[in-house]
Amino acid sequence: MYEEFKSHEIANVLYATGSDILTAYGEKNINISRYMCVNNPRYYFQVNDEYVKNKLKLILFPFLHKGRWMRAMEDDSSSFKSAMHDINAPDLYIPLMAFVTYVLLAAFFLVLCFCRFSPESIGVQFSTGLMCWLMQVLLLEGTLHSLGGGGGSGEIILVPLLDVVSYAGYTFVGAAVVMAVRVSPHPVRWAHLMFCGATLWESFCMGVLLVKIVKRILVFEVPIFDKQMYSTNKRNYVLLFVAAAQFPQLFWLGNVH
Amino acid sequence: MAKQFNVRPVRSPNPLPFLSFDVNSAAASTSFSSAPHFPSTAVAGGIGAAGFDDEPPLLEELGINTKQIYQKTLSILNPIRVNHHLHEDADLSGPFLFLIAFGLFQLLAGKLHFGIILGWMTMASMFLYVIFNMLAGRNGNLDMYKCLSLLGYCMLPIVMLSVLSLFVPRGGYVIMALTGVLVIWATRVCTRLVVELANCGDEHARLIEYACFLIYMLFSMLV
Repeated sequence: MYEEFKSHEIANVLYATGSDILTAYGEKNINISRYMCVNNPRYYFQVNDEYVKNKLKLILFPFLHKGRWMRAMEDDSSSFKSAMHDINAPDLYIPLMAFVTYVLLAAFFLVLCFCRFSPESIGVQFSTGLMCWLMQVLLLEGTLHSLGGGGGSGEIILVPLLDVVSYAGYTFVGAAVVMAVRVSPHPVRWAHLMFCGATLWESFCMGVLLVKIVKRILVFEVPIFDKQMYSTNKRNYVLLFVAAAQFPQLFWLGNVH
Repeated sequence: MAKQFNVRPVRSPNPLPFLSFDVNSAAASTSFSSAPHFPSTAVAGGIGAAGFDDEPPLLEELGINTKQIYQKTLSILNPIRVNHHLHEDADLSGPFLFLIAFGLFQLLAGKLHFGIILGWMTMASMFLYVIFNMLAGRNGNLDMYKCLSLLGYCMLPIVMLSVLSLFVPRGGYVIMALTGVLVIWATRVCTRLVVELANCGDEHARLIEYACFLIYMLFSMLV
């Protein structure tokens, strides 16, 4: 009980300090509530079977998606529709499950190929995966800031943190597929080829998915006042960088030893 | 002349007899022969106050209802039809028994996993708790105690897996097939129980099933 109380106090103190520091630097426009509190995580779990199935199809084959990439708004235009009604809504169930599946498959792969399973290896895989998720989040946040922030007065793109976390977590679906390919019974000659092929394919798919999502965010969700802050050329280069960064990431995730 | 000293049977209502040591009567009794009697009467009175006949049996006092544990275990054995009324009363001693048994069988296989089992069980039940309550929205009423109890009871197939793995060659196809069957059994039972015991589980049955499948797959890795 005491630890709970203490950590709550520490959180309050940190919040106050953080907001003080930011106001001291004149960045009054940054919406602190975006970082400090995670608003309503329940929104991200309102999923059902059908959504999960269709979203998995979307993640694995994003170029086959015939529909639109826009997110639907609620009837009173106050917020976005929940995941049950809109396939483009982000959710946290799929990334979480995909992450755990990836960790389990990596451990399974270690058991199969090296017969060297120890419970610590699950811990190592878990930490590596978390670090990768964090890097993905930083990459996406950096992209959104550099393309949406612009210069001085800064209209900041108000994308909730959990949205970005969930988009970043979709990578683990690809990583889980790569590990499944490695684990499945196949002739040993082709093992390396299959691994490389699967990783290339999945990173391509992930790249397309993330580029489409970021483009949608930039085009539709940014506040409308100043769209000429960045040039379209710069935007395309940054998006290309995002897509290219998926390749080393998936190779790193798939390279379990 | 020795003083007549009657040993009064002390029936003190409070459970700590040593606290009911009567200081006034100690001051009152000045006779030397009665002094050595007094501590023994206090002690005798103390034990007499809690009297062995009046105490509830130890297992009942600890809350371990062995008959209920046995019935719950039997109900898990049937993967097709699950009797969920027995499990409404959450209970942690059955899971504790199963986890200790699991640890012992792992020990027989040469792996010291007690701490790992404890830690993973805690994390797995927190995982299932978070996932279920988030999916079920505001009406989800799976509490942590029930979650841990259900997960622990459905560990029975995994315990059986660790027993069987002692006799079956390691890394062969037999153990893989057995793992698959037993993990799926555990998953089905756990999902049925969770869905029937907590509200609003029906429409998310497949999603919860996948979460339970991941949890039991994790435990079967230890074997």
